[in-house]
Amino acid sequence: MKNIYYFSKKEFLESWRTSRLLILMIIFLILGIMNPLIAILTPDIIQMSFGDSLPVNIPEPTSLDSWGQFYQNMTQMGLIVITLLFSGTMSGEVSKGTLINLVTKGLKRSTVVISKSIYLILQWSFCMLLAFFVTWAYTLYYFTDDNSPHVFLAVFPLWIFGILLITTILLTSTVSKNSYEGLLLTGGFVVLLFVMNIFDKFERYNPITLTSENINFLQGASNIGNYMPAMLISFFLSLLFIYLSIVILNKKKL
Amino acid sequence: MNGISFLMDHLPLLIPLIILQFTLMITALIHVIKHPDYRFGTKGMWIFIVVILQLIGPVFYFVFGKGDNE
Repeated sequence: MKNIYYFSKKEFLESWRTSRLLILMIIFLILGIMNPLIAILTPDIIQMSFGDSLPVNIPEPTSLDSWGQFYQNMTQMGLIVITLLFSGTMSGEVSKGTLINLVTKGLKRSTVVISKSIYLILQWSFCMLLAFFVTWAYTLYYFTDDNSPHVFLAVFPLWIFGILLITTILLTSTVSKNSYEGLLLTGGFVVLLFVMNIFDKFERYNPITLTSENINFLQGASNIGNYMPAMLISFFLSLLFIYLSIVILNKKKL
Repeated sequence: MNGISFLMDHLPLLIPLIILQFTLMITALIHVIKHPDYRFGTKGMWIFIVVILQLIGPVFYFVFGKGDNE
């Protein structure tokens, strides 16, 4: 238990001194601010690019547009940045040989994996909440409608999917020799989820729906209970990936 | 659309956005100048990327360009 704490602390110091944490925080803050801004600007941009010749009236932006931007940006930019920055988390340590000292001094390899996953999940939660609260605050300030009642319910599935993605990164990073290989494997896994999404039967069980249905959850148009299987599957897959990472790291030559 | 009134209306959004983008750029720029051992590319190239490509540039530098030995 104590070792988990110390190794997590080491991870924190590392991410702070390589300014990874700072970069992540700034990027997610920027993402948070950009969502309401883009929602406000979109009608003006359309107006400007078409001039007065546009026959239809562009509807005023609502809080839904702002949240729509949030879920678009978080899944397209946020998750990609997270994947890029975390991709070398285990393979980097193995290739640099920084783990040898710790392991020969009696640190269990499972402790390494568990504290890494705890710290990565903490980082993801923190960054996501940062973007979430910034978007929420600005949305409340600029859009005074009540089109989006279920704010927390909508963001919860995204958080779950983020955890699944992070454990996937951890596993692929443990398997591969360098961060590029890990990136490729993580990308492959996400593509696989997208391909599976073609089949309607799997929709309720596919973790990727946790990132595509958020606007419906937000409006209350779609019941989150229907997607419970996808959440449970994501949760158990995450646990399985952490376990597999431990098994593989145990067999790996450091 | 009046430019000035538009700016004034959205200052609470624009000011933090500009400050953050600037902080990100400066952080990356300092790192580029202080650590001249890149995985590939030259100092000039990375300075160009970090300054010109907002948001994407610094991320690219920290992921792909930064040398391994700190």
